[in-house]
Amino acid sequence: MKPRFIIISLTSCSGCITTLMSLDIFPQFLERTRIIYFQFISDVKNIKDSDIALVEGCVSEETQITQLREVRRHAKKVYALGTCACFGGILSLSSSKIADPISNYIEIDGIIPGCPLPSKLFGNCLIRLVENKDITLSEKTMCANCSLKGNMKINSHINISKINPNPEEISLDEENSECFLENGILCLGPITRDGCEYKCIKMGLPCEGCMGSVSKDFTSNLINYLSLINLSQELKDYVGIFYRYSKPKFGRG
Amino acid sequence: MLKVIDVCKRVEGHGDVKILLQNDEISLVNFEFEIYRGFENFLIGKKLLDIPKIVSRICGLCYASQAIASCKAIEHIYNIKVSEQTVLLRHLLMSGELIKSHSMNFFFQTLPDLLAIFDFSQKTLTPYELINYDPQLTSNLYELIKIGNEINNLFGGRSVHLISVIPGGVIYSPSRKNISLARKKFQNALNNLEWIIEKFIELFSNQIPPKEYYFPHFIFVGLSNSGNYDRYSGTLRIKENNKNLIEFEKHNYSSYFGKEIDLRGIDFYFENKKNVIVGPLSRYNIIENYGIDEIHTYLEYFNKSWKNNILFANFIRLLEMYIEVYHGLQILDDPSLNKREKFSSLNSVRNLDGIGVIEAPRGILIHHYHLNESNSIDRIKLFVATEFNIPLINEMITNYARELFEITGDINLVKKNVQRIIRAFDPCISCATH
Repeated sequence: MKPRFIIISLTSCSGCITTLMSLDIFPQFLERTRIIYFQFISDVKNIKDSDIALVEGCVSEETQITQLREVRRHAKKVYALGTCACFGGILSLSSSKIADPISNYIEIDGIIPGCPLPSKLFGNCLIRLVENKDITLSEKTMCANCSLKGNMKINSHINISKINPNPEEISLDEENSECFLENGILCLGPITRDGCEYKCIKMGLPCEGCMGSVSKDFTSNLINYLSLINLSQELKDYVGIFYRYSKPKFGRG
Repeated sequence: MLKVIDVCKRVEGHGDVKILLQNDEISLVNFEFEIYRGFENFLIGKKLLDIPKIVSRICGLCYASQAIASCKAIEHIYNIKVSEQTVLLRHLLMSGELIKSHSMNFFFQTLPDLLAIFDFSQKTLTPYELINYDPQLTSNLYELIKIGNEINNLFGGRSVHLISVIPGGVIYSPSRKNISLARKKFQNALNNLEWIIEKFIELFSNQIPPKEYYFPHFIFVGLSNSGNYDRYSGTLRIKENNKNLIEFEKHNYSSYFGKEIDLRGIDFYFENKKNVIVGPLSRYNIIENYGIDEIHTYLEYFNKSWKNNILFANFIRLLEMYIEVYHGLQILDDPSLNKREKFSSLNSVRNLDGIGVIEAPRGILIHHYHLNESNSIDRIKLFVATEFNIPLINEMITNYARELFEITGDINLVKKNVQRIIRAFDPCISCATH
């Protein structure tokens, strides 16, 4: 029997859903599965029993909690798709909106992070889900296989003065470029889960942490990390990078 | 008063159709959104360099347009002129995005409606049924989705939320290998599009489109480069009832329309406020010359009954993909694509207001940022295509729903058919709920 899928979006940009729909294997996915609910491409109105639910987007509205619980009731397994569903995502930048990961409201069976979802990782996970296998994510941080020279260990001698390299300083020579931390640029690679194929690094930009962290929540990892390195005063007041993909669990003051 | 609400299916994002019934008559039908994310609020105080990558997350379909419009607004603030290479790369990225967006909309959302409206299928086909209905058509369309994706991957670093787009330029120095790969993709796309366009002509050109999709009075708003198709640069045009043409620079937009922060919806300062339309049909009416003979030949297959019908937007979307691929091939042969110039540094603020305007796949997109005296962003206005189209959509669905309900009394039929009109506009709810 074909595995039955629910695919649902909460508050999101729909980028993870469009990543799914533009995967090379998407037509085969449609042939090998039964789509129970997928508002983007199907007219079906009611959520019914299914084997797997993929949920994109964060929870920002009360009505989504009811919907999410309905999905949980009808699906044998539920996976959070993309950074918004996994950790809260971009809306975490808002001080007035809720941006909760779906795991705050329902039990989930796994996450596939990324903003957007890395196509290769996602494609592999999807094949495993269709074959009724569990998915596994890398347990390593970005630094483990980073090709930049230096690859610094976290210590108090790392002096960080910039979030972004100046545009004119961006280097595309990946093999001969130095670790961003060595050049005073904040890279979140040391606390971020590997799996995105180093796409930002290859473009000469530091990791922004969209894959989340390997263990614990991202914010506590981030706070630990920032307390161990030496941040310039200007960066201590920087608004907008630390909450980009996840809201802290405490109030923001 | 009775309120009937139905979730709109096969659209990008969450939208509800809200029908108000009074004394057994439909008084109003609105296409509404439940979610509002507040990007205009939480972007206040953010660093200019961070803004393009944040606004990219407004939409997973219009990511390139959002980021590029943002870069243009920031470059306006710093009074930077970007290199020729940057302009060409941005064109390629916008083309990749448009090809993916238009082909996804056609394949998953509007083709099933068209086949049902013109009685080619008894019911609305699911994507799986569509694959079996016409394997060649669907495989050609799916190939286009992948090509759009790959063009963004090659020049943007990934297929959604592009990494290469930053204020002052595009990070990239195209390798010969990538250019030749992109050329191969575009050539495939051109062949696919010729096949799909001819198929569309074969299926629909002899049909008469139903009158409920007809829009009688309208004001087109769009970008044009001296009458030519150009979604990146040019001036804004307003064309009313296909006669009066007003042309103005982007920084004068507030004489013609505006919006209050926090309130969704755009206010138009024309006499006939309701019937503004942006997007493919608007571009088609505003542009004087596509500059490609094949496009004019294809257009001749359709008579006047199609030209003021929202269903014609489906055909225009196919033609736009053809135009973008055609121009894309020219860009790949342009020597400036390999002429790398240094990025301009973003040091001194020259204007406290920055305005970036482009044509996203669904129409005009304006980013307007205002800095305070300490050069920090204190006001942001984003004008997105679907917001422009909402009043027209609501007027069309209300009129149609009233008439259909009066004749049939069948509220389920009203709900179903109203959604077809909405889908023909290809609304982008993610963008509209920024």
